[in-house]
Amino acid sequence: MSITGARHGSTDELLRVSGVGKSYTGRKGSTVKAVDAVSFSVTGGEVIGLLGPNGAGKTTTIKMVCGLITPDTGSVTVAGHDIRRERRAALRHISAVLEGNRNLYWRLSVRENLTYFAGNRGWSPATIRERSAVLVEQFGLADKVDQVVANLSRGMQQKLAIAVALLADTDVLLLDEPTLGLDVETGYEVRTLLADIARSGKTVVLSTHDMAVVEALCRRVVVIDKGRVVTDDEVANLKRLFRSRSFEVKLVAPLPGVMATELRTGFNVTDDSTSQAFTVELREGGDLYRLMDFLRAAGAEVESVEKADANFEHVFRSLVNGAAPSDDPRQVRVGGNHVVA
Amino acid sequence: MSWLNAFRANVVKVVLELTRYLPNTLAMIFTFYAIFVFMFLGIKFVGDPTTAADNIRYVMVANSFWFLLMMGVSSMGWELSAEALRGTLEQLYMSTVPPYMILLFRMIATMLINTVLLALLITLSMLTTGQWLTVDVTTLVLVLPPTFLAVMGLGYAVAGLTIVYKQMNAVLQLLQFALMGIAFVPLTAVPLFELAPTAKGIDMIRQVMAAGTPLATFTALDWATLVGTGAFWFVLGLGVYLLFERRSMNRGLLGHY
Repeated sequence: MSITGARHGSTDELLRVSGVGKSYTGRKGSTVKAVDAVSFSVTGGEVIGLLGPNGAGKTTTIKMVCGLITPDTGSVTVAGHDIRRERRAALRHISAVLEGNRNLYWRLSVRENLTYFAGNRGWSPATIRERSAVLVEQFGLADKVDQVVANLSRGMQQKLAIAVALLADTDVLLLDEPTLGLDVETGYEVRTLLADIARSGKTVVLSTHDMAVVEALCRRVVVIDKGRVVTDDEVANLKRLFRSRSFEVKLVAPLPGVMATELRTGFNVTDDSTSQAFTVELREGGDLYRLMDFLRAAGAEVESVEKADANFEHVFRSLVNGAAPSDDPRQVRVGGNHVVA
Repeated sequence: MSWLNAFRANVVKVVLELTRYLPNTLAMIFTFYAIFVFMFLGIKFVGDPTTAADNIRYVMVANSFWFLLMMGVSSMGWELSAEALRGTLEQLYMSTVPPYMILLFRMIATMLINTVLLALLITLSMLTTGQWLTVDVTTLVLVLPPTFLAVMGLGYAVAGLTIVYKQMNAVLQLLQFALMGIAFVPLTAVPLFELAPTAKGIDMIRQVMAAGTPLATFTALDWATLVGTGAFWFVLGLGVYLLFERRSMNRGLLGHY
């Protein structure tokens, strides 16, 4: 058995989120839109990142996909089954790690947790034994299998939570912040595990703030901000688009303090660790001339101007700050946000 | 077959948690035993000596069934509140076996285990008092299942309220007095009380175990009331649970605490 038991090679659409929206009534009776007409789809074998700042609506979206929150508008289908109308059929194709190590029974052992959750999916004890033996081995939990979860490290607990979801052997795996709160070493271990899962052909939807995870695992990202989709595109495309607009400028001498402040006010400076070398995002065609005019007026002598390598963290920050590239033909501006047309 | 596997998984989990939280379980049994001992001493030293034996046997059954009701009904509230707090409730809702069935399996497992504890409590009480109850297995097998139906209905209702309101401590504490009333108040004193959940079953068991009434004495109406009220409270409780479940999912409250 592979690490996931994934259905390899299927390129059918497995998950479709169509215009889902969710509003909550605030304490003073005001309506708060948590998610507003979010749409995206995921095909078999894809690993997509669902990104956005805190409070953007990622978790609400994931919970609507899981059928844990009923959307006010729109629909979610998993492998062709509507999550509301055909809940049981849809849940056969989807599993999730929603709150990491909080998804486990801390007084039960590793083996007992795996057995209990798989039992609630109808697996027989023999099947559970067979599948969980492979998983605990691959997740490095074999020697902890009879330890109660409360005695495991945070990283081990996180791995177990992922193993519990994988044991369900579903087509789609949803992971909400799988590396949150882990130290560097454990975060790396979990990232390696996730990479193995991704390589196995499992369809994964990953919500995270960890841009290293996104760059390492996701081919495509859906960025959500203020409850709406800002961008739905491949990571490579976004990096290329932002690379073409990001420039590293080196000056012969540092800018005087007041001019450095004006530079930051007038331009989208994304890295200004020194006022002698900085990275700037030029959104409009004429911005380069404007920058040069500014530097000339400031009396600064330019040593070099080069296109910058955009890492995904920079791309993400630019996207949620409203700097989606306006020349991308797939994107239109709606209500101040860019969405895929 | 898949539901049988889920049932097995839940029975094992209930047993495991009972052993992991053994001090809590023992404390619960000890509490109910201590309450009984105080009642027994009250009857012995303050009550009418001519009716003391009958009263002791009556209280023995009532107290033991109060324990059973408390464990069966409140445990669902405490358990779901703990599930929401731990974050496992949403994971249960990702199961392909519907959550109301998972709850049912847990309640059945809880009732079966508590029946064993009930036997232990009754035995302890009989040894303490020297008063012996009539243990008619046939009666228990016939009367307990419809009685348990009502207990599970109440369990569902409490579970439903808990997944929306989470902090149910005050309600559960009040509930224990309502359940005490059901277990202790004789139907001869308040006949309409037989429509209350589990009251008819407890009364029939009390008549057999404490007064030695033969099973054949019960009329068709007694049996109809027993089964009818059991089914009614079960369906009502399940309805309440499903209603609050839908409300919780509409408001996005499943994972909140």
